[in-house]
Amino acid sequence: MTIKKGKFVIEGLENVQINIGKVIEEGVDGQIEGPTPKPEITSLRNWDYRILDRYNPVYTPTSDICDYCTYGKCDLTGNKEGACGIDLEGHTARQALMTSIMGAACHSAHGRHLLHYLIKRYGEDHPINVGPSNLKAPLTETIMGIQPETIGDFLPVLAYVEEQLTQLTAAANTGQEGSARDFESKALHAGMLDLLGMEVADIIQISCMGMPKAEEDTAMAEIGMGILDPTKPVVVCVGHNIAAPAYILDYMDENALFDKIEIAGLCCTAHDMTRYNKTAKIIGSMSKELKYIRSGIPDVLVTDEQCVRADILREASELHIPVIATNEKITYGLPDRSGDNVDDIVNDLASGKEKGVLMLDLEKVGELVPKLAMKVSPIRKAKGITALPDEGEFAKLVAKCTKCQQCTFDCPQGLPIADAMEAAANGDLSQLEVLHDKCVGCGRCDYSCPVKIPVLNVIEKGAQRVIREEKGKVRIGRGQIGDPEIREEGRNLVLGTTPGVIAIVGCGNYPDGTKDVHDVVEEMLKRSYIIISSGCAAMDIGMYKDDEGKTLYEKYPGRFIKGNLLNTGSCVSNAHIAATTIKVASIFAGRKTKGNWEEIADYVMNRIGAVGLAWGAYSQKAFAIATGCNRLGIPVVAGPHGTKYRRAFIGKPYKKDDWNVLDARDGSTVNVEPAPEHLMITAETFDEMMPLLAKLCIRPSDNSLGRAIKLTHYIELSEKYMNKMPDDWHVYVRSEADLPVAKREHLLKTLETEHGWKIDWDRKKIIAGPMRKVDVSFQPTNVPRLCKEVSK
Amino acid sequence: MTADAAVKTVDTTRRAVPFDTANIPGPKMAKPMMPQVAGKMIAKAKRPLLIVGSEVHDKDVLERVITLGKTGIQIAAVGNAYKSLGDKGLDVHYINMHALSYYICDPEWQGLDGKGGYDLVTFLGITYYYASQAISALKHFSKTKVLSIDKYYHPNADMSFGNLKKDIFIAALDEIIAELQKE
Repeated sequence: MTIKKGKFVIEGLENVQINIGKVIEEGVDGQIEGPTPKPEITSLRNWDYRILDRYNPVYTPTSDICDYCTYGKCDLTGNKEGACGIDLEGHTARQALMTSIMGAACHSAHGRHLLHYLIKRYGEDHPINVGPSNLKAPLTETIMGIQPETIGDFLPVLAYVEEQLTQLTAAANTGQEGSARDFESKALHAGMLDLLGMEVADIIQISCMGMPKAEEDTAMAEIGMGILDPTKPVVVCVGHNIAAPAYILDYMDENALFDKIEIAGLCCTAHDMTRYNKTAKIIGSMSKELKYIRSGIPDVLVTDEQCVRADILREASELHIPVIATNEKITYGLPDRSGDNVDDIVNDLASGKEKGVLMLDLEKVGELVPKLAMKVSPIRKAKGITALPDEGEFAKLVAKCTKCQQCTFDCPQGLPIADAMEAAANGDLSQLEVLHDKCVGCGRCDYSCPVKIPVLNVIEKGAQRVIREEKGKVRIGRGQIGDPEIREEGRNLVLGTTPGVIAIVGCGNYPDGTKDVHDVVEEMLKRSYIIISSGCAAMDIGMYKDDEGKTLYEKYPGRFIKGNLLNTGSCVSNAHIAATTIKVASIFAGRKTKGNWEEIADYVMNRIGAVGLAWGAYSQKAFAIATGCNRLGIPVVAGPHGTKYRRAFIGKPYKKDDWNVLDARDGSTVNVEPAPEHLMITAETFDEMMPLLAKLCIRPSDNSLGRAIKLTHYIELSEKYMNKMPDDWHVYVRSEADLPVAKREHLLKTLETEHGWKIDWDRKKIIAGPMRKVDVSFQPTNVPRLCKEVSK
Repeated sequence: MTADAAVKTVDTTRRAVPFDTANIPGPKMAKPMMPQVAGKMIAKAKRPLLIVGSEVHDKDVLERVITLGKTGIQIAAVGNAYKSLGDKGLDVHYINMHALSYYICDPEWQGLDGKGGYDLVTFLGITYYYASQAISALKHFSKTKVLSIDKYYHPNADMSFGNLKKDIFIAALDEIIAELQKE
């Protein structure tokens, strides 16, 4: 007999009804395989401690005081204790926890909102379909110990995430946790929950909304501030949640409005709009929000959630752009018109009676927004509304600058704005054009100017020539990496013959403009790294063209093999990047996944050369993603602004005992090279970041061919960008076979003369020097229970 | 530039407010410092380290850093500073500044040359906010004295120049050099 969900009556028994809510099937697929299904806060504490013992938390506080409770403010300078007993180290670790929780809550709440909506629309039994994969939800399986089949199966997953996040938040209250080490363990837990919440959000939207399912050759979407036709009505959706924009796109499709209305997204909503309907376009990252609104081009702004500027309503209303808020997390004090007639709302907004509305009925959003755009656009365009000055005003404004530098003091990038103003006053706009790219569009300069120059508007006016040319291409987000691709590439990754996977992720708070993110991708693709991107970074990669007018997405294919460039999609698609390492452990190495986080993370840390680059990370979400990746054994490099997250995980290569691992074959201790050297670190400049990425792809399990390839790139990138051989390259040499082939003889000589190694020159072999020999059967692990026989 | 040359005394204690307006860490902020004081402190330190970053490539600054290096002080070239300093015959070592700021806090660390930790570190020519965060780690978790001789006021240092215009900044570096060349 097959048992199904539902309500049943039994014949002959009056007033008896059997309700079957959830059927858990037994069998191989349903079996828990590891020791920690649904881990509680302390279930993975031993693993966290192993991480923290090697990769010590490094604190760079932005504030010396604590003002969390009414005991304070407390001065914690010099790591003093506050009134509650917490010291600055503990307090900063608590901030790391809270940052991780905020990020995880954002993604998980996004997933919860989508799950409610999609269950309502498609039903709990709607099957999961992510493409050609048996391992459909790697993070869910590894953390929860279950293999979901329907979107309803994710209900207990999100319930678990929410419960855990509540427990973690409680630990941050004054008078709760006091240990920095345990705050960090909890932060790692929150990071892991973040990965899980993201996976749920993206799998359900892929499964229900027709988004690409592990497709390597998705269509190209247009991107840039110059792509929209400003003569048409323009709708711009801002945020991360596809639910409301999907209704708008459906309405436009059904009413054949795509030729009449321009529709585009800002930030990750844009990615998901193109995944849902490839007619949609992408303006760019969050750093373009204020700039694009000030252009006056949008006729209607639709907000959902995450990475939406807090001042959008004020900025938009100054330019008579109505705002439709569609998510309960961002309501801006707007009147809730969800129950009202659409045409009435259109009239109220078009007449200016309302600056915006809260509209939580998403079907009505679909109808309201296109109608409103059609009505408002002719009015706005007739008035020529823009915040940017005209030519005459521009000349007066740049001449007004007193060069007091206050804008530079307030600029998070410290940009030389006064110099650019002076050049512009002399007819040279080139410096303002450079500033446009380096500026993150925050608008703090406007507040700082003592002579009331609207600085951002002046920069944008001065950069109109380059803005009009901002037209690129992005390969639409593909979702997961399919199992067949993992089968093809897994071996190369674990042995090191593919030099590494570099995940280009995060936001647009770059230290020196968006071009850096394009340049790192181009360099690493030429070197046969696999580049996987997502979110705003994935957008910025597509903003630049070569001499033939091609972007990197047009030049490099999108399969998960060396030298390919993949875009997984929006912020929540980051889950697939982390999950790819789980797939390699499962599909290539046969590791059990269900409820088996520690073993999988241990495998990833020791064997898979993957590293994340969040060069422009700004948000709590980015920190949570990085922290989740760290718990999974994936190192992350951030740009210099990343130091303001206040915590990193940095290894000490000079402490040899920190780099002991076990050989799982017999439990013996092996002292290995520091690989990966750090789990979370920043770099000051692009030049410094390039060799660091290559180094962090080195793993203890590399075979000699793989190590030689990785060392080749590490050395070459250091020579190219830092004008030097890396100081520590020899540490990664275990035998002559590890040496880059083209430089082998020269490097052997260096090892002999500079490091005192003994070389047999007849056979060109290393006789003495390396810390260990190559052992092709070596099974590095940091987890004693995974050893066959634990050595005494 | 040399001990013999006439070196103008400049006031580097003006505008001693955080270069980033909002970078106000707490009740303890750096004491504004004159160049001669910086020079004397570096000269008297048993094991000083000069930390130089990605803003060293400016010709005038680079010239001064090379001269400072030639007085014998060890240099940590952070960011991409090594590109301009590596071939100048100085005692210069590349290291990541985020890592360096942590290693300085570790009493077991034996320095860039294996000869021991540092009792005084001096920051110069580094992206402002990046240096500020690194100095914060030293302020709270190390016993090492921290000077900033950059063109920015660094509140987390023990002593710092104020926010300087370039001509004053360069003149201040010349004063420090002169002081070191006296020793």
